[in-house]
Amino acid sequence: MIRGISWRNFDFILLGAVTLASAFGVVMIRSAIAGNEVLAVSASRQVYFALLGIVLIFILAAIDYRYWLALYRPIHLAILGFLVTLTGFGQTAFGAQRWFQVGVLFLQPTEFAKIVAIIILARYFESTRDHPRDLRWVIGAVLRAAWIIGLILLQPNLSNVMVLSVILGVMLFVNGIQIRHIMIAAGLGALALVTVITLSVLGIRIPFLQAYQQERIVNFVVPDPNDTYGNRYNVQQALIAVGAGGLLGEGYGYGTQTQLRFLKVRHTDFIFAASSEEFGLAGSLLIILMLGVIIWRCIRAAQKARDVAGSMLALGVATLIFFQGSVNIGMNLNVLPVSGLPLPFVSYGGSGLTALMICIGLVESVAMRQKELEF
Amino acid sequence: MSAGSESRPVKFEAWRLGLLYIIIFFVFVGFVIRLFNLQILDGDLYRTRAVDNYTNEVSVPAPRGIIYDRNGYILARNLAAYNIVVTPANLPEDDSDIQRIYRELSELLGIAAGNFVSADTETDGLILEVPGGLMMEEVLEEAKLFAACVDGPSIAQMVALQDTLAPYSPVKVRCNVSEEIARVVEEKKMDWPGVSVEIEPIRDYPTGSLTAHLIGFLGPIPATQEEELRAKGFVPNRDKIGYAGVETSMQDILAGRNGLKVVQIDVAGQEIRNLEPPIAPVPGHNVYLTIDTRLQAAAEATMMEEVRFWNTYFGQVRISSGVIIAMNPKTGEILAMVSYPGYENNRLSRFIPAYYYEQLSQDPRRPLLNNAISAEYPPGSTFKLSTATGAFNEGVVDLNTVVLTPGQLLLCERFNPNDPCTDFNTRPFVDYIFEQRPEGFGSLSFLQCIAYSSNVCFYKLGGGFEDEIPQGLGIERLQQYARALGYDNTSGIELPGEQDGLIPDPQWKRINTGENWSTGDTYIASVGQGYVLATPLQVLMSGSTIANSGKLMQPTVIRQVTDGDGNVVEMWFNPQDFTVTEFPTQGSYQISPFTPNMKWDITVTPLIQGYSCDGPYCTLTDDLKIVEPETIAAVRAGTRRTVTDNSFGTLSRLFGDFPIAVAGKTGTAEYCDDVARAADRCNFGAWPTHSWTIAYAPFDDPEIAVVAFAYNGGEGASVAGPMVERVIRAYFEIKAADIAQGAPSP
Repeated sequence: MIRGISWRNFDFILLGAVTLASAFGVVMIRSAIAGNEVLAVSASRQVYFALLGIVLIFILAAIDYRYWLALYRPIHLAILGFLVTLTGFGQTAFGAQRWFQVGVLFLQPTEFAKIVAIIILARYFESTRDHPRDLRWVIGAVLRAAWIIGLILLQPNLSNVMVLSVILGVMLFVNGIQIRHIMIAAGLGALALVTVITLSVLGIRIPFLQAYQQERIVNFVVPDPNDTYGNRYNVQQALIAVGAGGLLGEGYGYGTQTQLRFLKVRHTDFIFAASSEEFGLAGSLLIILMLGVIIWRCIRAAQKARDVAGSMLALGVATLIFFQGSVNIGMNLNVLPVSGLPLPFVSYGGSGLTALMICIGLVESVAMRQKELEF
Repeated sequence: MSAGSESRPVKFEAWRLGLLYIIIFFVFVGFVIRLFNLQILDGDLYRTRAVDNYTNEVSVPAPRGIIYDRNGYILARNLAAYNIVVTPANLPEDDSDIQRIYRELSELLGIAAGNFVSADTETDGLILEVPGGLMMEEVLEEAKLFAACVDGPSIAQMVALQDTLAPYSPVKVRCNVSEEIARVVEEKKMDWPGVSVEIEPIRDYPTGSLTAHLIGFLGPIPATQEEELRAKGFVPNRDKIGYAGVETSMQDILAGRNGLKVVQIDVAGQEIRNLEPPIAPVPGHNVYLTIDTRLQAAAEATMMEEVRFWNTYFGQVRISSGVIIAMNPKTGEILAMVSYPGYENNRLSRFIPAYYYEQLSQDPRRPLLNNAISAEYPPGSTFKLSTATGAFNEGVVDLNTVVLTPGQLLLCERFNPNDPCTDFNTRPFVDYIFEQRPEGFGSLSFLQCIAYSSNVCFYKLGGGFEDEIPQGLGIERLQQYARALGYDNTSGIELPGEQDGLIPDPQWKRINTGENWSTGDTYIASVGQGYVLATPLQVLMSGSTIANSGKLMQPTVIRQVTDGDGNVVEMWFNPQDFTVTEFPTQGSYQISPFTPNMKWDITVTPLIQGYSCDGPYCTLTDDLKIVEPETIAAVRAGTRRTVTDNSFGTLSRLFGDFPIAVAGKTGTAEYCDDVARAADRCNFGAWPTHSWTIAYAPFDDPEIAVVAFAYNGGEGASVAGPMVERVIRAYFEIKAADIAQGAPSP
């Protein structure tokens, strides 16, 4: 089955950017541990996950992505099983059930559920490529995604619900959703957003949202200027870290905000701030550039894919990386509210990195089987 | 692969993908702009905030200077107090280990170890993870109600609270433990990680109540001075300042200067390294007092014995307070200063216990007050030294004058010169001997007037009498001479709370009582009664000035000041604002190295403002004059005759056989204050009296002058006199012992 595969179209630029970003992540995690004994193993663990991920990329690239579309039922059931069990037995961290302990590993099925959702949507848009872009088509797509979104919402994990919604939206948009349907969706979305913000600021609890999530929204919309040590502490410290970095940074291992632990959750959520402090504007631009290259190569693969399914796989991955990356950076720069979305490839997290590597493997698979004629 | 055989290339609408690219582009450009703003434009602002985050200034306390007496005997020092502290961050990882440490500590220190709860405890509040286990939030909150070192919260509560505040800073779980307990904790260091012994300096006064009024005590920095002292590097709630005595007046040099470390800290407050070269603390200067602790002890014992004797004799608290001061009249050095009742300053050294302070401040005898300088009494006959000096110097009297002294004088009380003399305003002015000898002393010379302390004589000298002494000294001129001898002003001694006494004049009376000055006022002022008030120190100064032939020395309790290495340093004290400086300032005098400071020599410095008197009307003139040396010699001779005249000399029985020539003056001051009035002691003609005696020795070359005062003590010669005698005797015994040991006499 591997024999006869042409690696001519394997995207080495994408692989290079991903490897570089992961390596940068490992380097920053090493610095961000800052003497914390509990986290000391994080850097080496991240290395193992990155290496595992690169192997996965090659394996997945070698396998035709359409197999996964065909196998969607068992994958479906597996992830469904995971998510349902999670709602019952998962480990609670900060009020949300997101973790699944298997031996020493903490698995985050949500990360993999997002891949499953992309595959399901890709299959849907492939099968409906010739259907009229009417409301039925839109609702069909929404329903395909809805059950995964629903299960994630129950955890509750608002950020990933938004990730999936954005992926769904982008796919619908590129596949030619009618402008008036966009208007309706945008109207509903805006209404929901305004409702959530208004209710949160007024202090009214909303079902499916945790108190801390509403608090985050309030803190972002109307920050309390006196609240230096309260909820805005992390964001304030992140801003200080970023700003203190200057042009070239304070030097690797010398960022005072990071090394003296003023910056919290610096190896995951705020790793962008940590690297901005130690490597300055140069380091920040490098991260944005790497993300930009990865997204660009994914969209490029989407454009060259030989069928809608492949195109949607690549586009879904591009959207996933772009949205998660932007939300994370935006949070680090205090232009977006705090959410738990990690910085793709850079933040610490075995499940997240592995899932992203699987995504890249799928994109490589699409790229290798692009529509150009092969001689 | 078969699955890829059928290829159906995709064709999306270009604008849709284009729009995606544009959105991605603008989002990333937005981030870059934001980054540029934060890192380049506002970079300095955030760098400053980052520096603020990790910079911490730590004040390193300076050891307070030691206070010695003139012989190097320690009067105030710093002792180590042992506190058992726990640093939450250094406790072991395992909860059961922490609980074991708590249990063992609890057994050793006798305080509760504290309880933990299980995770499923039913509670309305939060359950928190604290060192050693889980704790309910409300239990943790409880610990916030207690100040450090106050018994109440358990070890677990205190450590848990500290863990939330500053895990790398130690919390005191038990203060002021014995040295044995401190040693046990030190030995267990390996078994009890996180537990250690903190050594805190506390002030210790080996002589305690003996020198409490001189040394004073320490207290926390009051809110009113917080800002000022903070600027000088003091740390409120840690550093203490003097609250009384030398601890207050020498505060500037005793305190030293706190050191400063600028350190880098991490988010938990752990010190990482010095950011700047640390400034080492400058230890406070050591202060040597002029006090001789042996003489001080003798004086205190004398005072106690005298008070005990008379109170036992009368079967009631008769003498409620008293003062003994011994001074070298030639140098102004205070050798002993006892104010009864006193207090135990060691009880105030760690913190000021409310019950004890309450007890002291509500005691009507005012034990916190240094009566030697802060209390004003009528000086009685000891004030006659002023009247005598004035009358002799003004020519009212000379050595050949003979004054007739019947047992009492009937004199007119005139508020205006033209008031007619009627039965109505004529009242008797009695001599103290009147009851024994109604005929009085008879004819007395000037020296006898002083020696016998004849009131009638001094009434005449002060207020004039008919044709015998047509022009008395008068209140205006009496005031001048009293001031020249040290009355009516603070002395400027290095002790806080000094009072200035009162020498009245007609203007003062008009302002304060709304009445004209009367002739009677002059008569009784001439014998140190009426409105005249003086501190015991002022009485001593007047006696010293006479003893020292007119030279009034600055009274001082400071002999020298040394730095941390023991070198004597130059210091000046300014009594106006109570500052100690290394250079002279306006109005200051040198206190180290010791130099006798003369306030003035009344035989050289013209201090006496002239008055031209026309009958009872006296007006100020501009010319100043001195006190003639002959005047001083005459008054000195009078004080000597007090001892030598066996017939009526008031000190002859006490000092007649004394091996060294002593001279002095007694005083029996009538008074009537609130206390006496409440006790129904104020009876006309039999007023309660304070007992005074001032004496100096040797007569020819005086080196010791002593004043003794007993509140409601009665006759000067029988209560205060013996005290003076014993102190002077003690002084010469100590001196003889010193010389026998080969020490140079001071």
